[in-house]
Amino acid sequence: MGEQAVAVKEDVISTVEKPGEIPPEWEPKILAFACHYCAFAAADLAGVMRLSYPMNVKIIRLPCTGKLDHYHILRAFERGVDGVFVAG
Amino acid sequence: MTSKKIGSVMIVGGGIGSMQAALDLGDSGYKVYLIQKDSSMGGTMVMLDKTFPTGDCAMCMISPKMVEIARHPNVDIRTFAEVTHIEGEPGNFSVKVKQQPRYVDPEKCTGCGLCEKKCPKLVVSEFEQQLTKRKAIYSMLNQAVPNTRVIDYDNCLYFQRGRCRACEKLCPFGAINFEDTAKEIELKTGAVILAPGLDRHNPGIHQELGFGRWPNVVSSIQFERILSASGPFMGEIKRPGDNKHPEKVAWIQCVGSRDPHHANPWCSSVCCMYATKQAVIAKEHDAHIQPTIFYMEMRAFGKDFDKYVDRAKNDYGVRYQRGMVSAVHEEAGTGNLIMRYADTDGTIKEEKFDMVILSVGIEPHKDALAFASIFGVEPNGYGFAKTTQFKPVETSRPGIYVTGTYQGPKDIPETVIQGSAVAGSAMALLSEARGTEVVEKQLPPERDITGEDCRIGVLVCHCGINISQTVDVKQVAAVASEQENVVFADDMMYACAQDSQDKIKALVKEHNLNRLIVASCTPRTHQPLFQETIRDAGLNKYLFELADIREQCSWCHMGQKEEATKKAIDIVKMNIAKVRYLEPVKTDSVAVTPSALVIGGGIAGMTTALAIGDQGFDVHLIEKEDALGGLVRNLYRTLDGSDVQTFLKTTMDSVLNHPRIHVHLGKEIRKTDGFVGNFKTVLSDDSGIDHGAIVVASGGIEYEPSEYGFGESERIITQRTLERELEQNLPKPGTHYVMIQCVGSREEPENYCSRICCQDAVKNAISIKKKTPDANVTIFYRDIRTYGLREDFYREARNLGVLFVRFEPDRKPEVISRGNRIEIKAFDFMLQKELAMEADWIVLSTGLKPHPSTEKTGKMYKLTRNPDGYFLEAHVKLRPVDFPSEGIFVAGLAHAPKNLDETISQALAAAGRAGVLLSHDRLAVSGIIAKHNRDICMSCLACVRVCPFDSPYIDPEDGRVSHNEVKCMGCGICAGICPAKAFQVNNFRDDQIIAMIDAVT
Repeated sequence: MGEQAVAVKEDVISTVEKPGEIPPEWEPKILAFACHYCAFAAADLAGVMRLSYPMNVKIIRLPCTGKLDHYHILRAFERGVDGVFVAG
Repeated sequence: MTSKKIGSVMIVGGGIGSMQAALDLGDSGYKVYLIQKDSSMGGTMVMLDKTFPTGDCAMCMISPKMVEIARHPNVDIRTFAEVTHIEGEPGNFSVKVKQQPRYVDPEKCTGCGLCEKKCPKLVVSEFEQQLTKRKAIYSMLNQAVPNTRVIDYDNCLYFQRGRCRACEKLCPFGAINFEDTAKEIELKTGAVILAPGLDRHNPGIHQELGFGRWPNVVSSIQFERILSASGPFMGEIKRPGDNKHPEKVAWIQCVGSRDPHHANPWCSSVCCMYATKQAVIAKEHDAHIQPTIFYMEMRAFGKDFDKYVDRAKNDYGVRYQRGMVSAVHEEAGTGNLIMRYADTDGTIKEEKFDMVILSVGIEPHKDALAFASIFGVEPNGYGFAKTTQFKPVETSRPGIYVTGTYQGPKDIPETVIQGSAVAGSAMALLSEARGTEVVEKQLPPERDITGEDCRIGVLVCHCGINISQTVDVKQVAAVASEQENVVFADDMMYACAQDSQDKIKALVKEHNLNRLIVASCTPRTHQPLFQETIRDAGLNKYLFELADIREQCSWCHMGQKEEATKKAIDIVKMNIAKVRYLEPVKTDSVAVTPSALVIGGGIAGMTTALAIGDQGFDVHLIEKEDALGGLVRNLYRTLDGSDVQTFLKTTMDSVLNHPRIHVHLGKEIRKTDGFVGNFKTVLSDDSGIDHGAIVVASGGIEYEPSEYGFGESERIITQRTLERELEQNLPKPGTHYVMIQCVGSREEPENYCSRICCQDAVKNAISIKKKTPDANVTIFYRDIRTYGLREDFYREARNLGVLFVRFEPDRKPEVISRGNRIEIKAFDFMLQKELAMEADWIVLSTGLKPHPSTEKTGKMYKLTRNPDGYFLEAHVKLRPVDFPSEGIFVAGLAHAPKNLDETISQALAAAGRAGVLLSHDRLAVSGIIAKHNRDICMSCLACVRVCPFDSPYIDPEDGRVSHNEVKCMGCGICAGICPAKAFQVNNFRDDQIIAMIDAVT
């Protein structure tokens, strides 16, 4: 039994922890949730200062990041985003 | 003869102080005429890159105010205008205003800037401080208000040589008018506020410093532009001589200040801090920079200023070198600069720098004297407007007020405070005329869209070329038009221009739109504009979304047109997905109780109470002691010798006899319930008060010393005791008074400057020397901080023979009592020697602390305090008397240590801000609030625990959770935590957020 359990555990680890190969051109899709009063303002400021950053970030404005629900984050991952950035 | 008072106020000047006054007055039922000499609003603040001590971006703070001013229905802006004549009396002035020709019709001009591109004539830019060029048709700055161009007559080719007119040919709106002429208009106004602002000292006068001669010596205002992202080098730090990146950069302080022989005798108040800020920001822009600030005295006297200087020293490695610079020479061939300066021990040193910045001081406007004579107000000896310690915002002519740097050098928050203070004073003067000159906007009835299909309109803005040079605007509009429910999509040159608003209204009607998206700039500044527009078209204003494709797309992805267009399309799609779920939001309004509660019966509380009472509102003044007066009871003279006790008595009499003021002595506040406009307070005697606003003026206390042998000898006293003594008795000839500064200040645990003690010492020293010239005074100090015009008294004390000896905190003077004589031992940094002297009196200059009740008051009203225990205002720069919680204001020592005149200004400002609130019969409640669905709520109390505003509550009727929407600020923390999803925030509902997520994934 013990050996079997170890085998199963190793099997689980091998599927969970071994990430797939990252293609060289791959760009993560990132969704940002930003507080209207600070982080969204900071994103505006970045524009005003003409600071450049990668394209693959889309921002959803919230009245406060306290408004964020875990469901929103899960939904984003479920729909295939690679990273969620919460700023507020 | 008493004529009828007029409900309008004229404000002369266009800087931040004038804008604050205009908004306060415009928001509280007065018509405002803004007379600005420049072609745009803005003043000095718009030239600045960042501000101290928070490092906030100046433009980002001021531009929303400028937009608000531009759109305000009660503010009439006249730029390029000057007052030529005024007559009349308080309440009823008649003013002649001359308006210079602009040659561009502001009604037609949309600010697109096409003309500017084609104008062939280049002119040195005044706004960019001669570092770059502008065209002959131009706007002062990109964010100009009004957003329109102006033709510079002296440089226009057509005006000077008779041909060109390129701008006229190119303007698509026919806005150019070469026939424009100067106009004189006459305006009637009840009060006048003077806010003409400042001039900067011309550093070219000091030839030894090399300004204008060595290209890498720049003025501090030039360096602000160099730091600015919108400046000549786009925020990259380069020296003008050869565009090289400097490493060793030096600031020279007091250029044109504290120099009665060559320049101005006064201290400019702001340079120590702005140089520190510039050094910190420069270091942030370029880590290679090694800043050194050469200074005489570090005058970091304001709230949290010393902490900022400490941070600059310790975290940013800014070097502070005490000493005076005698000459700056350029090293041949390198453009580097060799500075010669006297070190603290008097030795002359030379050091090489890559760039030198001259911290130029503040002067009265160059036309200040002519200005004063037009308005018939008295200038002081230096050309600033003359005011008194007790009436800091009143000029010598009744009905004419002054704010900002025209009253003396000061920083932005003090200017804003005075802006609200003059507004409050004008409100009091014209209280009976409130609401007589303003127009109420009439709105069409709102269209009921229940049962209608979703019909979305999308307008994509070019923003001149701001968006269209990076984003294919037409393609975005084309893709938008293919989306489900979108019935109309098009592009627009300037969606925010006045003509576009008319077009939007027509489109809403023509296509029967019931949702609108404008894809342009940020909702943070422009959402209200478009919301108003669709409301004018009969739509509920919450059926609108602004898709930010400028700040968050075109401006940060320049030169990547294809990708940026894709991103813009995604942003628009997200918003289309969201607006499908938008619903009209009904906004409520609540009645306002037109009375105020003022906590604290010191000079701050009494001044506030009088100014609110004079506006015609009831005031409840709560003082926990049995007498009014506060700390001022122990004060006899101000720095300029004015009689404080008489002033205090007059003020107390006015308060006690004021028909609107109800004084509650010996009472404390037990609790306050309610919200802005509708507070209910119970006092310690169980009496109840209904009020709409709260002013916290709970004051401060004096530090009780334990150092320097205080208490061991009756000859060791504080400045307060000395002041009382001097009021009653003459000092004996030959007596030696030794004063020690910074007792209980600038060291842990009171590690901040108490601001008043230097003046206190100087004041008493002058008094001693004037009464008994044979008496001696020695002052041991760390930095003498007699900022602004107070510097005169420091100089006077020195001239009277008062000795000043500097010490450092690790080498403090030692006090040894020997009966009636006391011995002092100290190290003199000037002489580099140990000193010993005998004194008859040791006078300790003790600092200020927040009142012990501050903590309790803070907890009761959920007001945050800074690490030193003083209340923290809503915004250090632009909201210096507001708290983040609406309807609560702060004044006096509860906010920070300050002098009497500054306390009075802030108290008047608190009254002005409270007046804005109380002048409304009803307050509109924002529509962006959480809605509570009681049917699915389980009353788990999660929301009750997390809400910062106490808006969810337990209903005593049935013990279940209910929601007070009036208190709700719409943050949605309740919605995030609610396990049943019983809370949903209007326009940020879960279905709307999920729709946005799904639209881009």
